[in-house]
Amino acid sequence: MHIPDGILPAAVSVAGYATAGAATWHSLRKINQKEDPRESIPKASLLTAAFFVASWIHIPVPPTSVHLVLNGLLGAVLGYYAFPAILIGLFFQAVMFQHGGLTTLGVNATMMGVPALLAYFVFRLRSVVGKESRVWTGVFGFLAGAGGLGISVLISLVLLITTVPPHLDVEAERASIYALTLAHVPLIALEGVFTALVALFLQRVRPELLED
Amino acid sequence: MERQTQRPERSDSEEPALVVSGLFFSYPDKPDVLRDVSLEVLQGERVGLIGPNGAGKTTFFLLVCGILKPDAGEIRLFGRPMMYRDFYPEIGMVFQNPDDQLFCPSVRDDVAFGPQNLGLSKEETETRVTGALSMAGALKLADRPPHHLSRGEKRMVSIAGVLAMRPRLVIYDEPNANLDIRSRRCLIRFLQASKEATLIASHDLELILEVCSRVVLMDEGRIVANANPCELMGDAELMEAHGLEKPHSLVPHAEPHHRSEKRKACAKGA
Amino acid sequence: MNLGLDEYVHLDSPLHRWEPRCKLVGLMVLVFVFSFVQDLRLLPAMLAVTFTLYVVSRLPVSFLLTRLRAPGFFLLVVAILLPFFSGSTVLLRIGPLALRQEGCLDLLLVVAKFVSILTTGLVLFGTAPFLTTIKAMGALGLPSILSDMTLLSYRYLYEISDDLETMETAMALRGFRARRLNGRTLGVLASLAGSILVRSYEQSERVYKAMVLRGYGRSSRPRDDYQARSHDVIILGGVLILAAGFVVAEILLRGFGR
Repeated sequence: MHIPDGILPAAVSVAGYATAGAATWHSLRKINQKEDPRESIPKASLLTAAFFVASWIHIPVPPTSVHLVLNGLLGAVLGYYAFPAILIGLFFQAVMFQHGGLTTLGVNATMMGVPALLAYFVFRLRSVVGKESRVWTGVFGFLAGAGGLGISVLISLVLLITTVPPHLDVEAERASIYALTLAHVPLIALEGVFTALVALFLQRVRPELLED
Repeated sequence: MERQTQRPERSDSEEPALVVSGLFFSYPDKPDVLRDVSLEVLQGERVGLIGPNGAGKTTFFLLVCGILKPDAGEIRLFGRPMMYRDFYPEIGMVFQNPDDQLFCPSVRDDVAFGPQNLGLSKEETETRVTGALSMAGALKLADRPPHHLSRGEKRMVSIAGVLAMRPRLVIYDEPNANLDIRSRRCLIRFLQASKEATLIASHDLELILEVCSRVVLMDEGRIVANANPCELMGDAELMEAHGLEKPHSLVPHAEPHHRSEKRKACAKGA
Repeated sequence: MNLGLDEYVHLDSPLHRWEPRCKLVGLMVLVFVFSFVQDLRLLPAMLAVTFTLYVVSRLPVSFLLTRLRAPGFFLLVVAILLPFFSGSTVLLRIGPLALRQEGCLDLLLVVAKFVSILTTGLVLFGTAPFLTTIKAMGALGLPSILSDMTLLSYRYLYEISDDLETMETAMALRGFRARRLNGRTLGVLASLAGSILVRSYEQSERVYKAMVLRGYGRSSRPRDDYQARSHDVIILGGVLILAAGFVVAEILLRGFGR
């Protein structure tokens, strides 16, 4: 999911930092408006670390295994803190594991963080149909998880294909986008299912984690 | 104008460190966690708090620190009434799990956290940090990150972090949980040398015997007994009635083999 | 879990001694300038600068090699797409596929940039303790809520990852093998993830109480001050001039066409 260094043109990287900066500023403003951030900072921080660690869990997809991104779940649980959390998580990945990239930190954060915020809004909608219902928690969990990853995949693929090869012809471009998106559909479904299962777990064990 | 005096004026140095009267507390999902708890700790005194799990000890500590609000009752710190949520640097609490208390990425920063919040200057903070780490015997750990420390080292650093605020009453919640023998002995020596008023909750009854001059037994949210350690813990019936046991060293021995002279004297008298 | 940070920060080199804020600004500008390079003729210069930087930092070669791991999914896609689908000048045909010159050169560019940026990044973050770098960012204007969150997350990352390992071991000892993708496996792994989240959440409540008891939130804490000495600034100036040189060269070379 993360776009590494060296592929994107500098202009795109800089634009990515600009959008990430704007989204961070917006999230921080919303956080300061809502509640006393001092109380929620320890919670958000430890959950950021926990999500980072949780994404290391191997999900078997024979013959191999995958790591989930969990940005949809992050949005559902952290709300506006999801954007800074993703920014920090990506920073750790870039600095500790050289995964993702330094120049592409802004682009990656925007590509994964904005869908996380969208997932938050989608998940919040379940209060319309009834928060306590396990069925609806599962459904909205699925939507948040699949949607979160799905939108990220789309953005990253479009970005990659359109900005990278200057000599690629339009037909090949379109075909690649379709093919790669299709290849990701099973992963998107998996992410949706997993998010739903974790949301159900949290609802049973500590429902306040899913509250606003 | 009429002045209301509830007690004769005492100088600050004579006030008890802590006076708790008639404390009641319930959690929303757990009623009657504390019922009519009254306790006094004098300045410089070391009091042990024993009792089975679930007796209400940690809750009691959180109330005394002002983190929770009592349903009824009064708490006075050094003669002044304590208000919920106010900040009282004269009281410090050492948590059961040192990881909950060591939240900065370096030991030095963590110990400096309290003094910085007190608004002290850089120099004063430095002095406090060095002093607290020396007292806790952890000065050589100053520049290490907390996650590289052993349990015993984490324990002493978390104590240093509290001491840097120069508290006059220190509360310890199960301080020797998960410590090895050497670290435990180091902790006992440290506690024996401390001058502040101290309140220690522990399952380690031998530690309480070595360190405290008075013991309070709490069970089901009530104070059941409040007496001298040998007397209280030597009463096997009382201890067993509340899910505890008489400490081994108080059992009369044909051949005395315990270190403390005090306990030998207890054993003879028991 | 060894997250491998701060392994070589105790070494001594001009880069280790460079003031953290100057180093952050200088090397990040360099990294962005590298990403700006599109002309192949600048590649040797770019790689030479990177190589020199790494040698001066005295970081061991093994460090770089272990970090230059197998490229991620994207690089793989790019490595397949570019040589075979991008461009019109065919170098050689392998069955139905044609290896194209432009694509190969594009790939070369991407790989060179990737290596340069990654190496420079390693030098930036590997020559000072993580904590120092974050504080330097704060001194450069990073909002305190972000630096506080970063430091707290970093602090508990180790504990939480140890927790995960312990739980996975416990599960394995009770016979759980995550081999097949079915409802039961997913359910168990979801409970594992959920447990990590809940336990961290509960710990955060205790951490908050501990912070409040030591006066958290009462007054804004002082920012660490950094002193940049004259030679730190001079080196920064040198690096910025070098970066500007690359930008100018790139623009000029673009003007002259390929």
